[in-house]
This record gives sequence, structure tokens and C-alpha cells, in this order.
Amino acid sequence: MHRLIEFIKRIYVVLLFILLEGIALMQYAQSSPYTEAKILSRTTAVGGAVSGAVTGVGHFFTLPSENRKLTARIAELEQTLERERALSAPVVEGDEVAAYFDDGDLNYRYYPARVISLTTNRERNYIVVDRGEEDGIKRNMGVITPNRELVGYVVSVAEHYSAIMPILNTKFNIGGRLTDNGYACSVRWRGASPHYAEAIDISTYAEPKAGMAIEVSSERLPSGVLIGYIEEAEHNAAQTAYTAKLRLATNLSTLDNVLIVENAHYGEIEALTEELE
Amino acid sequence: MFKQFTYFWLAFAILVVQIFLLDNISIAMWLRPMIFPLVVLLLPMEWRMVWTLLSALAIGLTMDLALGGSGLYTSSLLPLAVLRPWIMYLTTGRTVEHSDQSALLSRMLTKQVMLYVAGAMLVHHTLFFMLETLSFASPMRLVATILCSTLLTMVVSAPIIQLYKSKIA
Repeated sequence: MHRLIEFIKRIYVVLLFILLEGIALMQYAQSSPYTEAKILSRTTAVGGAVSGAVTGVGHFFTLPSENRKLTARIAELEQTLERERALSAPVVEGDEVAAYFDDGDLNYRYYPARVISLTTNRERNYIVVDRGEEDGIKRNMGVITPNRELVGYVVSVAEHYSAIMPILNTKFNIGGRLTDNGYACSVRWRGASPHYAEAIDISTYAEPKAGMAIEVSSERLPSGVLIGYIEEAEHNAAQTAYTAKLRLATNLSTLDNVLIVENAHYGEIEALTEELE
Repeated sequence: MFKQFTYFWLAFAILVVQIFLLDNISIAMWLRPMIFPLVVLLLPMEWRMVWTLLSALAIGLTMDLALGGSGLYTSSLLPLAVLRPWIMYLTTGRTVEHSDQSALLSRMLTKQVMLYVAGAMLVHHTLFFMLETLSFASPMRLVATILCSTLLTMVVSAPIIQLYKSKIA
């Protein structure tokens, strides 16, 4: 104990310096979106490498459950492959193959990634995964679980790692629609519980009820990606729309493997939207 | 003998000149004199590092508040408080001996103080401009900015160091 106190006495100036420098850098990082993105991208690379080494050991013990997930995923991919094969076959009028052309999912490319670090107890949470620029990851790509549940989207990319803004971030906002009747809404997180989000601007004609599912409606992700289930819904203050309490489908605190989704036409859509604005 | 009261007024004058004069002179984007680190660098080397660190924090916060740096000035100034004994050793070969009766900066020649300040300014300016740009897209431009600004800072600092040597240290 005496030696410990002596040791702390010897290095307290360095500890104080690290603390003050850390606070100053954090303050500077939050001063503008540019500094935030830049510093986040640099710290992602460093932090990712460190966390990667630490979590590597823990990851070894979760291999059985991962294998189960992977097997399920392989089965799903096999189905997709079958569909691709069918699409590349000659199209015959009236053939059932023609129906596949209506499915826009072929524009999407999937990149598996492993979660290196994540937070769920802050207002602005982030997730770091072990795929980066070198693997073809770009900003604004959507991120889902292997069970097709929403996670978030990529906000910053380093060479080998990427930072994801998950739904558990007060800055996060995404379009959704009720699976039962197709009515649109907007989903956001208010920062209270990591298990619940809020769906707003649901049309009064939608008649949302407890148990109804809400899925993503965004150019970043294919259709059928689940956000969560309505727990309760009530009219907003102006009585013009419904606001619903949404139980999230994904439990982010146990997130391990994710799929990063690239929409091959995203750039085109983004340019078109910018042109309209 | 280090004259603390006179040093306080010199420090005040340096900050006023930096905030109201040098920061408002727009010569070129790559030519920005910053003399405020002098206030930390010219503090007695025999001071305990924690006091130097807290002084650097106070100066950095003042600059951030006055010039809207949002932590940039503080984060680039704090390392100087910790690194200055090493910078002193690397530039002049001198080490701080706490048993000495007279202050190290007062025993040094003006030329040696200049060399020490130049080394420290180079470190500070490197940190400052790297943090400010946060990009290595134009490395040559970044290096040119650091070197030119350090040079101009030294030109402006030279009379202040001479004044310090003759009246304070």
C-alpha cells in the first residue's frame, strides 16, 4: 500500500496531464461535426486495434453460438444464391422467374463484420466493427443483424475499422413503415431505455396496435429489415398523428456479428435527392 | 532573482498582444505567429511541474475562451508544460538541478534561451496545426505552415525574450 502511494505520488503529474489533455481534446472534438468525424475516425483506428486484441480472447468462448448463427446465415445465403441462378437463366414469358425482377434486393451487397466495441449507456452510442475501407466499407452503408434486424448505419470509416451510429443514438433517425398496412413513420431514440425507441408521425388512418411490427423504409437498407414491435400507441398532442412506443427487435448490448449492407444505387439516389434539395 | 510581479505583467501583455493584435493580423493562412506559449516556457524551470501544468491550463483556457478555440489552444499547450525539461535538454544540453541557488533561465545566455524557445515553439506549432487541420492530405503545406509560423513567432518573440532576460530572469 505504501509503495502504491509512493508510485502514485511519483506519477500524479503525468496522470493529471493525461486527464486534462483528454478533456481538452474531447472538448475540441465536439466543437464541430468535422472535428468530431475526423477525431472519431482516427480514434476508431487506434481503439479498434486495441479492443480487437482484447475481445479476441472473449470471442473464442462464444464460437458455438456464432457457429449456429453462421449456419442459419449460410442457409439464407444459399436461398439467395438460388435466386441469383434463377435470374441468370433465360427469361420466359409467364415463367415464375420473371417475378424475381420485382424484387429490388439484388442491388444490395452484404459484408459480414464482427463487433469490436460498443456502448449502450450513453446518449450518443457508437459501435466499432472490424471491417473498414480496405474491405469496401463506405459511409452511410446500413447495418443489420444476421436475423435482419436494424442496427444502424456507418458514420466513419478507417482503413481496417468502421464506426456505426446505432439506433441507440439520439442523433439517429430513420424512416419506417408498419408491416401490416404499409403506413410510413419516423423512428428515433430519446435516450431513456436501450430496449425502446419511438415511432412518430404515424398516420391516424394506420390505426397502430400493440404487437404490430415496424420495418425499415430507407434507401440504405433492403425491405424486410425489422426495427421492432409497437407496445402502445397514442395520438400526439395536436391529434394529427400517432406516436408509438416501440420495443426494439435488436438487443444491442449482446450484439456480436453484424452485416453491413451496401446499396449499389445509393450514390445515385443521394445525388438525386441533393439535386432536388 | 525571478521577479514574479513583473513577469505577471509581461504575461498579461503577451496575451493582450496575441489576442488583440497578432490574431487579427491576416498575413497568410500559412503564416500565423503565436507567442502565447512564451508565458509557459519562460516560467522558472525549477517550478514544480504541476504548477507549470496548471499555468498552461489557465493560459490555454484563456486563449480558447478569447479566440473560440474550443479546447484547441489548451490541448496544444498542455504538452509543453510536461515536455519543456526534455526540450531544454535536447536543445541546450542543460538539465534542471533543483539544488541550484540561481534559476536556470537566468544563468543561460540569451542565445540558449532562444534555442530552447524555438524548439518548444516548433513542438507547439506542430501539435497546434496538426490538431487544427486533422488531415494529412497536403503534408507539404502543413510542414510549410509549421515552419514559417514558427519562424515568424521567433522573430516576434526575440525582443520579448531579451526583455525577459534583462528585466525579469
